Amino acid sequence: MNRTVSITINGEVYQQSVPIRMLLVDFIRDVAGLTGTHVACTFEGVCGACTVHLDGEAVKSCLMLAVQADGHRITTVEGLAVDGELSVLQKAFNDHHALQCGFCTSGILMNAAEFLKVNPHPTESEIRSALVGNLCRCTGYAHIVDAIKDAAGRTG
Amino acid sequence: MYPAPIENYLAPATVQEALKALGAQAVGEAQFIAGGQSLMQAIKSRLISPRTLIDLQHVAELKGISAEAGGVRIGAMTRYRTIAAEERLNGAYEALRDAASHVGDRQVRNRGTIGGSLCWNYLAACMPPTCIGLGASVELLDTKGEKRTLLAEEFLRGPLETARKETEILLAVVLPGAPPKSGSAYKKWGLVTDALPVVGVCAFVEIGDDGRCRRARLAVGGLATGPRRSKAGEEALAGAAAKDADAIAAAADRAAASTEVQADMWADASYRKRLISALAREVVATAFARAQARRPA
Repeated sequence: MNRTVSITINGEVYQQSVPIRMLLVDFIRDVAGLTGTHVACTFEGVCGACTVHLDGEAVKSCLMLAVQADGHRITTVEGLAVDGELSVLQKAFNDHHALQCGFCTSGILMNAAEFLKVNPHPTESEIRSALVGNLCRCTGYAHIVDAIKDAAGRTG
Repeated sequence: MYPAPIENYLAPATVQEALKALGAQAVGEAQFIAGGQSLMQAIKSRLISPRTLIDLQHVAELKGISAEAGGVRIGAMTRYRTIAAEERLNGAYEALRDAASHVGDRQVRNRGTIGGSLCWNYLAACMPPTCIGLGASVELLDTKGEKRTLLAEEFLRGPLETARKETEILLAVVLPGAPPKSGSAYKKWGLVTDALPVVGVCAFVEIGDDGRCRRARLAVGGLATGPRRSKAGEEALAGAAAKDADAIAAAADRAAASTEVQADMWADASYRKRLISALAREVVATAFARAQARRPA
């Protein structure tokens, strides 16, 4: 069965009839065509690659149906840069080479962006705890932690 | 993995509308969805395939924490994020903050709810043993408007089983009034940081002016039989003081010895008992410290 939803993604309204069983992450990737949001584990909700902001809060878009996001505001990694200018966090990731293959990066950016709003001056231990929900199989997290720490310093 | 087709999705704004929606479906065909952090996994793996989903996200009256005469009321749709940050729970109910602040990860805590966790009653979950350890009750309302209150230990049965009828909605968790000199703590052990608990233990202690334990509660999660109180451990704590490390250790050992545990791929039975004992020592010590701490009334 289908349902018409209206979801605002990065400021743009997407109104579409979708199957009730469609996951939010599939709406973002397939309906809105925003493929910066990734899918790695697809099932258990454990990898964090699909993390987006739902009304400003980091959530996993594979653990929600698109119909549940009806009327809500979503921000994806494509929404972090403003007028082509990367956010402070994105620049810090670039400067610290906080990625290798890059598959997990968009989810980590979305989680870390909200984390820094809640906790603008985190300790290293708090940063590491905040990353529990995002798997990175390349970096060993060291550069990711450095980048988040640096971004906190630059905005703080 | 992808959900089986879902025929109907409803998003009521009030409890009354939610129960009306539930009552309009054949019994067992509709499923409430709270934060969905467990349920969506079950739906995607097709462990369950509900025909109708009733999403409780807009039911404002199910959200929030309020002080009540002689206790604290936590709406079923209150998120881990909110519970983890709630300073009014410090002391007597602080175990709930311990538990909520380490459930899953930040993303899960931004959506997951206390009521969802209790109604799902997964074997490896933190809210069930914590609510039992705190002596909490749950309030249920059915489609005919009948309300009932059950102790968490009556509500929570074996894994994935509760006393909730298919015609009922969970309204709130109610924490009983606690004297000023009481404290609680929860701790779990899992394979990696903040993982699902292989074992989780919650302790509550109330102390007298002499610093000795007047009343204790101990509850264990991660058990194949469902979350359980350890009355043997509770009895062994009576009269103990925070400095009686031997008495606390003996009580923790009694709790472990008297708890029926399973062996599984995460831990064999003897290791589970060691975990119960080690965690119990730690949470009892923390609960004592919190009971002794001076707090503004």
